[in-house]
Amino acid sequence: MKWILFFGALIGLSVCGREKFFGDQVFRINVRNGDEISKLSQLVNSDNLKLNVWKSPSTFSRPVDVLVPSVSLQPVKSFLKSQGLEYSVTIKDLQALLDNEDEEMQHNEGQERSSNNFNYGAYHSLEAIYREMDSIAGDFPELATRVKIGHSFENRPMYVLKFSTAEGRQRRPAVWLNAGIHSREWISQATAIWTARKIASDYGKDPAITTILEKMDIFLLPVANPDGYVYTQTQNRLWRKTRSVNPGSPCIGADPNRNWNASFAGEGASDNPCSEIYHGPHANSEVEVKSVVDFIQEHGNFKCFIDLHSYSQLLMYPYGYTVKKAPDADELDEVARRAARALASLSGTTYQVGPTCTTVYPASGSSVDWAYDHDIKYAFTFELRDTGHYGFLLPANQIIPTAEETWLGLKTIMEHVRDNLY
Amino acid sequence: MPPRRQPPPASGPWGPRPAVLLLAPLLLLTQQGVAAAPVGAEGPEDSPGLQDAEFPSGLLQQAARAALHFFNFRAGSPSALRVLAAVLEGRATVNPKKGCQVDLVFTTDHYNPEVGEEHLGKCSARVFFRNQKPRPAINVTCTRLIEKNKRQEEDYLLYKHMKQLKTPLDVTSIPDSHGHIDPSLRPIWDLAFLGSSYVMWEKTTQFLHYYMAQISSVNQWKTNDDTIDFDYTVLLHEFSTQEIIPCRIHLGWYPGKPLKVKYHCQELQTPEEASGTEEGSAVAPTELNNF
Repeated sequence: MKWILFFGALIGLSVCGREKFFGDQVFRINVRNGDEISKLSQLVNSDNLKLNVWKSPSTFSRPVDVLVPSVSLQPVKSFLKSQGLEYSVTIKDLQALLDNEDEEMQHNEGQERSSNNFNYGAYHSLEAIYREMDSIAGDFPELATRVKIGHSFENRPMYVLKFSTAEGRQRRPAVWLNAGIHSREWISQATAIWTARKIASDYGKDPAITTILEKMDIFLLPVANPDGYVYTQTQNRLWRKTRSVNPGSPCIGADPNRNWNASFAGEGASDNPCSEIYHGPHANSEVEVKSVVDFIQEHGNFKCFIDLHSYSQLLMYPYGYTVKKAPDADELDEVARRAARALASLSGTTYQVGPTCTTVYPASGSSVDWAYDHDIKYAFTFELRDTGHYGFLLPANQIIPTAEETWLGLKTIMEHVRDNLY
Repeated sequence: MPPRRQPPPASGPWGPRPAVLLLAPLLLLTQQGVAAAPVGAEGPEDSPGLQDAEFPSGLLQQAARAALHFFNFRAGSPSALRVLAAVLEGRATVNPKKGCQVDLVFTTDHYNPEVGEEHLGKCSARVFFRNQKPRPAINVTCTRLIEKNKRQEEDYLLYKHMKQLKTPLDVTSIPDSHGHIDPSLRPIWDLAFLGSSYVMWEKTTQFLHYYMAQISSVNQWKTNDDTIDFDYTVLLHEFSTQEIIPCRIHLGWYPGKPLKVKYHCQELQTPEEASGTEEGSAVAPTELNNF
């Protein structure tokens, strides 16, 4: 039975790795006798057709599955026809099938991670996000608690998830993950809630996050601007600022990321209430900002502050308010580059790295600059996907891929903080 | 234009800006054909012909974006839209009285992300920014990204598809809040982007650059005679000010013919509202045209 060995050898040539199979088909060929086998082996043997046997018959009258590259479809069909070999096409487009599977898998992965059927691959209302935060705290009571740190201008609660393995009243060094400060940057809030579930689920399983949490606490604020977020859902998808009233002006809101006390009202902000980068009447005038400032200052032991925004695919560090080089710029740059590489390793998404002022534009009164100037050394801004094609309106099917790659970047940073506590 | 950018040169004081970025072609060869420089790459600094003037960071990026908007508009082909991949090299010269001239070479990619092929077009351009006034003067040539016949074929398919859409179009925003564009409406987005390219070209300066954020309304979609007559409102996102600018655009398109565009944008701060008209592919002086 030489032909068994022959086909057996060919199976070893199965294609692994990340090759693409656009338009490639799988033929199921019926071979009824030795004569047909030898005809088929003739076909499979031809170098230029590049056929690939998936399943060889162990006995007669069992079909053979062969992967036929799209370029060889015609010649193979002609050959089979001319030799009177019966066949059917069981897979019409291998790449499409693989893509579908990938999609489904990812979908299910996202589904699995949720209880209450919270779909991480979709955008949610404020209530739903708050409920899910509560749910995470409920699912992981030893690790996570939902903490109210204040309220918004329109009196909505500001909730933070605290992840801590500390005993008693220990005030461990801490990481602050900030998201959704600009309400229209929906991928930020979406990434944050995914990250919350990820931190909780992976603790005790993933060595990195486990060791991080043994040494530090993580505080995650998924919606730093709740009023703005609700407004983007109900009235204006592209709203950026808070919803505070500006006396004497018809225009509403201040840019919460120009409102921090770091070169407040300097270059890269506006004093016009109608501007998208209006800094507000004074530093911390926005209650949403003040709530975070008060909490962090009261805590007194934060070592890392990361602010998630979109879009542009950038990973930046201080300063935004000056071109002057920050004292720790070299170290922050090195960490950021490593984080960007880790992020890119998942799907090839490339991020540019650099100090805010020269990487994007001058910006005064920003959260990250404030953090840095208040002894929170590891201060970074992420501008998440994309680079302008969809911009703020990033399709929901990119949420989980974005969150997953961003997670690798976040971990890199947090691991460095863990290993360089001061 | 959504850029896949090179990292800007290392931060320094506001002074002479590096005017020439020479980036190894090797940096272009990434999996997706996207030529963003891997993190860590930098170009040598060299500034011939550069006077001691203030440059915004990313001047070359600005010039590339302006050039591409103009190129896309002039090509008039919704199936052959291009996006910036990477700036390869460039130099700038400044005339403090008149403005700033940028000569540059850059690579492009397909606008439509579904077209995943790794074809990089290459363009060389001369862009003249007129002291922060709009409408940079542009001279740009690009290598072929898509074979001419194929492009005409694609355009014609798009055109036929659009002709078959039920009017009036039962649609509000494209994309919707969740970033979704129905596949049947994708050609509308591409055509809108083509029209917006004209507007974005006119409005780009050394400091301002734009992205098309959303089609907020379709006012009219007519295909009575052969031309597609499209009247819509688009929201442009200006990056450095973060402003959203609604622009009403009225375009006429037929495959192979030059695009006709009229527009009117609402500006936040400036007292004058910006608008313009373009017929044919010649660079005509702007006419104020109010709807």
